[in-house]
Amino acid sequence: MLAGGLAILGGFVALALLAPLIAPFDPILQNPEAKLLPPSWAHPFGTDNFGRDVFSRVLWGARIDLQIAVLGVVFPFLIGTGAGTVAGFFGGWVDAVLMRIIDVVLAFPFLVLMLSIIAILGPGLASFYIAMALVGWVSYARLIRAQILVLKSQDFAVAAASLGFSRLRIMFRHLLPNALAGSLVFVMSDAVLVLLNGASISYLGLGVQPPVAEWGVMVAEAQGFISQAWWITLFPGLAIVTLAFGFSLTGDALADLMGVHE
Amino acid sequence: MTPLLEICNLSVAFRDGDENRLLLDGITVGLGQGEILGLVGESGSGKSLLCRTVMGLLPSRRLRVTAGAVRLEGRDILNDDIAAIRGRRIGMIFQNPTSHLDPVMTIGRQICEGLGRHRGLTGAAARAEAVDLLAQVGFPDPAEAFSSYAHRFSGGMRQRAMIAVALACEPEILIADEPTTALDVTIQAQILRLLMDLRDRRGLSIILITHDLGVVAQTCDRIAVMRRGQLVEVGEKRALLAAPAHAYTRQLVASHPLLSHAEAALPRHDADGAEPLFDVRGLEVAFPRGGGFLRPRRVFRALKGVSFSVRPGETVGIVGESGSGKSTFARTIMGLTRATAGDVVFAGHSLRSGRAAALKALRSEVAMVFQDPFNSLNPRMTIGQTLAEVLRDQGETPHDRIPGRIGELLDMVGLERALADRRPRSLSGGQCQRAGIARALAVNPKVIVADECVAALDVTIQAQIVALFRDLAEQQGLTLLFIAHDLAIVRNLCERVVVMHHGEIVEDGPSAEVFARPARAYTAELIAAIPDIDPDRPMGGARTNDKNDTNANNANKEELAT
Amino acid sequence: MHRYRFILLRPLQLVPVLFGISVITFVLVRLIPGDPARVLLGARATPSAIANIRAQYGLDDPIWVQYLFFLKNLAQGEMGKSVVYKIDVLRLIATRIEPTLALVVAGVVLTLIIAVPFAALSARRQGRAADQAVRLVSTAGLGFPAFWLGTMLILLFSVRLDWLPVAGYGETFSERFQHMVLPGLTIALSLSAIITRSLRAGMIAGLSSDVATAARARGMPEGVVFWRHVVPNAVVPTVNLLAVNIGWLIGGTVVVESVFAVPGLGQLMVRAIFSRDYMVVQGVALAFALATVLTNFLADILTVALDPRVEM
Repeated sequence: MLAGGLAILGGFVALALLAPLIAPFDPILQNPEAKLLPPSWAHPFGTDNFGRDVFSRVLWGARIDLQIAVLGVVFPFLIGTGAGTVAGFFGGWVDAVLMRIIDVVLAFPFLVLMLSIIAILGPGLASFYIAMALVGWVSYARLIRAQILVLKSQDFAVAAASLGFSRLRIMFRHLLPNALAGSLVFVMSDAVLVLLNGASISYLGLGVQPPVAEWGVMVAEAQGFISQAWWITLFPGLAIVTLAFGFSLTGDALADLMGVHE
Repeated sequence: MTPLLEICNLSVAFRDGDENRLLLDGITVGLGQGEILGLVGESGSGKSLLCRTVMGLLPSRRLRVTAGAVRLEGRDILNDDIAAIRGRRIGMIFQNPTSHLDPVMTIGRQICEGLGRHRGLTGAAARAEAVDLLAQVGFPDPAEAFSSYAHRFSGGMRQRAMIAVALACEPEILIADEPTTALDVTIQAQILRLLMDLRDRRGLSIILITHDLGVVAQTCDRIAVMRRGQLVEVGEKRALLAAPAHAYTRQLVASHPLLSHAEAALPRHDADGAEPLFDVRGLEVAFPRGGGFLRPRRVFRALKGVSFSVRPGETVGIVGESGSGKSTFARTIMGLTRATAGDVVFAGHSLRSGRAAALKALRSEVAMVFQDPFNSLNPRMTIGQTLAEVLRDQGETPHDRIPGRIGELLDMVGLERALADRRPRSLSGGQCQRAGIARALAVNPKVIVADECVAALDVTIQAQIVALFRDLAEQQGLTLLFIAHDLAIVRNLCERVVVMHHGEIVEDGPSAEVFARPARAYTAELIAAIPDIDPDRPMGGARTNDKNDTNANNANKEELAT
Repeated sequence: MHRYRFILLRPLQLVPVLFGISVITFVLVRLIPGDPARVLLGARATPSAIANIRAQYGLDDPIWVQYLFFLKNLAQGEMGKSVVYKIDVLRLIATRIEPTLALVVAGVVLTLIIAVPFAALSARRQGRAADQAVRLVSTAGLGFPAFWLGTMLILLFSVRLDWLPVAGYGETFSERFQHMVLPGLTIALSLSAIITRSLRAGMIAGLSSDVATAARARGMPEGVVFWRHVVPNAVVPTVNLLAVNIGWLIGGTVVVESVFAVPGLGQLMVRAIFSRDYMVVQGVALAFALATVLTNFLADILTVALDPRVEM
């Protein structure tokens, strides 16, 4: 399972890196001669209403969507892990304040809060990452905090305290490495959510802007041609599903490997 | 007379791919009508698996019966319709009633399930029968218990509920899998007595699985000893205990901590002269419990004014049942839990007035050993890394001497030096516990505080660890605070014993005196409840105690609104 | 009945969260660069309208006074006027609640219809072909983007088979019912992937749990063990998971409404963002947040009802 998941992820990384070399056409260049062509040898995934090669656009899209999945996870992960560790370890008012903030952020539907922030910042990928960092950290903070609370009461942590180790040592050497195991699994399932969110927001027209080749944008642009040219919609969607499947599979395998249950 | 239940040459194998291990190897044993058979063995001996096999409840699909037969009144039930027998003719109760009772179904409904299935009783008739059963197993208010959920009751009452659920099907045989292991001794005595009563009243035949030779000595007619999937010895109780034929049985008997004719505990030190190492005065600890926003805040008083002192070189056992506050006491004198009132003075430093200095002294001179051997070591660090971390942090060992010192420490606790590169998960429980003791010794402490550190171990390992503590205390002149629920172990290891009950010290004195002439009724009851390995020294008391168990639910009376 | 006492206390306990929600919705609009009066009224506002709103929202006062004005207006049900629709935001929201609510209900009902049988099938045949298939599909289902899935469903059921309407909401009840099938299914297919996995895991754990062993040991047949003991215990954590995902589900309606042109709150919000109709964005965000808080409250009541051990 782990091999399968990593193979899918590795495959997408390779395609994204090699896109300029292996894509048969320019992803943005319009060709009025070749509009809405069905899949063929020349155009394996067909062409869209501007005559652009869907296969090339899907390949180039991998660059953007992988970036979304990775960067959209990294910032929330770092912020959330830091906040959760501090709150779980020190407790008291730090914890109380943090938990109230988390409650408030979670009271908003995720996408609604994202959209509200993007409404202020203006559409675009940068706004998406900022909104992600502002909203996404709460799940990591909650998860890590819960783990730290459990670990803190375990005998090895009490032993470390009874041996007079410093708080920093206990926090970073004893608690955090054990807490991270669970959040690594969560990183994988979160990458799926972030990917879907990024693509959805781009689909709504508030993320990546046309004519850039991004899978959500591609589906949005194909909307009007669904009855004539199904291929423009099908292939970018399949790309999202496959990449997400790679993340899910890797996450499941890691969970089995480390004996974590979500 | 043919036995009621015959297990003949039964073998069970675990098969996974190429792996093929025999977990039960040709077991032959019988159970007579109205007999109690004790099935004894340490973890991994296959005693539970044997009973699951009889019930047709193999816990994994990779397990197969490879040979043998199980006969009930002469009829093979392994290949018969087990559904007609399971529950109806052979009932089963388990070690952990909390996890075996359905938490989202009332106790009454769980009893009625069996009544409906096996005896065709439904509606009011079933209810009446269920209430009657609950009364029989000792519920003071059976009608109320009928419509209650399991979580409302204490461990002992839950076990009674599980017995009632099993009895509802009117089985001829009851398999009891470690039914008292999770319970306090006084409650254990009550449950064992209940099982014996049921045998007498209903002619029930019982297979009692246990790791505790004392329990079988007190309750069973015959004993079967298992080890690594094999039955090493079976025989009449008195004969077997008096003259065990097999070497392993002899080892088991020798490992069993004796209360009655204990070997002399460590010689009593002349404690009067020296300054006390620990001086604890009026220690109180209260935890906020439940409560919260707009809700009365309750307080649980874990320690209610405890005073005691320890002099250098003393070995003190602190005993008590669950909830007595003994672990809270250990953590508070270590400065890990803050006291609500009172003070701990360690080597002249007060935790109240000079906390920093006191903590510094505590951390460099007192080390702890914990209960759960696997959990007390950081799972991500090797044993060597764990020890090196302590040595570096203490800063008394030069860096280049650290590897050598690790070797010495492992030697001291009887671990091979090669184990320094292993992580806790790849060690046995006993090995982990030794590593935990090595970590404590790495501090080069004057005092070791051991919190239930043998409770999770098999008896033979338990005996080894206790012997190790004895050696360390004697050779290094260590002061030992040994916290345990098992009085017999304390009796054998410690010169002085402190008995705790509901957050207070009820008795404190030299072990020999306390065990011979307990001054308080509670101590006497506690000692009497310990099942002795000598069948002719029956368990005492306990019958009067049903109410305590119900109330032990508990501590409700301990909770004070503030 | 003291276990249900929290129902009375909860509104008070929610005060900090409601306070936080109001602060965030208030701050959202104030963070937009430019004169708030212009931001709220749009570029073509008349000077008198601007003067009005300055007074109504205390825009010349310090920020915390402005917040108090915001609360006061909110308490009077005054959430401003939509620049685009020229009506009160509250009334606008009221007309858009029904389609969104219908969508959420359809989504949850269809999710349960899909998830429960498949999870049960999968758990009871663990390791066999049926289980492998359910695991594969539900794992893949986690990654189905709603906008794409919805489009593919339209392609299949509306364009190719012509069974169901493409988009919109309809007038009569039966029309609306038909219009809700595909959007509901889109939500349900995504959500049921999560719920199926959780239920399956819970059921598998339940089948080898001590509770199940004890039930078998007293002779209960496998079907009774499963439906009477395993399922009720597996449902409790799933209700919690559903509650955690309710925010995700409600947010999901934004995308699904856009795909199917359902005139609900989500569509309203997206359009408002494009037309810089910030009063509406603020109002809808507030409405969504309150809806989430309310559903979580309902989930808590349900949890207490399902699990006698839980105390709130």
